[in-house]
Amino acid sequence: MNAADERPEAGERPEVSERRRGYVPDLLTELFQSPLEPGYAEAARRRAERAARGEPPERGFSLPRAASLLVVAAIGFLLIVAYQHVLADEPARSRARDGLIDQINDRQAGTDGLRRRADQLRDQVARQRDAALDDRAAARLRDLEATTGLGRVSGDGVVVRIADAPRPVDAVTGQGSGADLGRVLDRDLQQIANALWRAGAEAIAINGQRLISTSTIRAAGEAILVDFRPLAGPYEVSAIGPDDLHKKFTNSSTARTFRQLVDAFGMSFEVRKRDDLTLPAASDPQLRYARPLQTVSPSPTTVTPTEGGR
Amino acid sequence: MIAVLALALGVVLGVVLDPTVPVGLQPYLPIAVVAALDAVFGGIRAKLDGIFDDKQFVISFISNVLVAALIVYLGDQLGVGGQLSTGVVVVLGVRIFGNVAGIRRHLFRA
Repeated sequence: MNAADERPEAGERPEVSERRRGYVPDLLTELFQSPLEPGYAEAARRRAERAARGEPPERGFSLPRAASLLVVAAIGFLLIVAYQHVLADEPARSRARDGLIDQINDRQAGTDGLRRRADQLRDQVARQRDAALDDRAAARLRDLEATTGLGRVSGDGVVVRIADAPRPVDAVTGQGSGADLGRVLDRDLQQIANALWRAGAEAIAINGQRLISTSTIRAAGEAILVDFRPLAGPYEVSAIGPDDLHKKFTNSSTARTFRQLVDAFGMSFEVRKRDDLTLPAASDPQLRYARPLQTVSPSPTTVTPTEGGR
Repeated sequence: MIAVLALALGVVLGVVLDPTVPVGLQPYLPIAVVAALDAVFGGIRAKLDGIFDDKQFVISFISNVLVAALIVYLGDQLGVGGQLSTGVVVVLGVRIFGNVAGIRRHLFRA
């Protein structure tokens, strides 16, 4: 693009360099030192010549004078139009954003309502089924549900608490700076969950979201989704398991890695023993393609007896 | 003085008429503003240099705006509108800086 600009300036270059320097200055110096239209100098020279010939200089309200005033007015007009244009754009943008925020809030409220309704219906189903089944079948169903994560369970276990490191703050701008290495990632939660399963945990929930066999822990942008529900830090992974769960998990390589992360990046990570943990039921896994075989007695995949605890 | 009045008149006209910019012309608006600023600063510098010329000013403004618009239009047709707009803004920006430097030398002797 500078090359394109060189062209118009090139016309006056020999003259400029002869007059002022005697050598050709480089492009940038040239650009910065003589950006004035050479036409002005030429017009001034013409005027001087005319004055030298004794003709009177043009005075008064000539056509070019009127035209230049018109141009000045046009420039004022242009500036104000551009200003108003930019101004008019701004509210449209913020209106769109406000509309989106409203929509998100609406949908969230709608989702919450539906979820409450689903929980009620689930309670109702559970009550009616308990009434319909004999005690042995009902107990067997509850056991199966507890194992698969579709029923609430309680017991002793551990709570692993992990949180983002405080964001590094730039001393000058006061804003977050640099790579944010102390963030909890989806992979961290996956590793903790896997280590807990390995240490013998029988039920795990992350921030009150029960993990089942098809649960997913993944990231979308900066948010961590467990079963497609976004979680906010700090993250609490609760697990119910044998008495040595705490010892096994604390001695695991995963816990060691996290202690190193704490030292390196300032994340917080603690493992606590907790008695009488109650873990909520997971949401219905919604089988869409797999069909339970008729010979398999009460299938826990289609109904959940307890209220989903979210 | 009259120039300042004319500028004020243009501003008032713009406020009063409050024109809406046609969608097709909207990409050219910022370019036109930068081109106009270039002509204005060139004119002010020439005035301070004592070599201001009305005809030169009018022609430089019109040609600046037209050439800038043409380049952006061509760029839009060729699919490099953004880059060419940047080029126009850089070139005109450099000229504005140069002219402002000239004006500064006149006003503050620095």
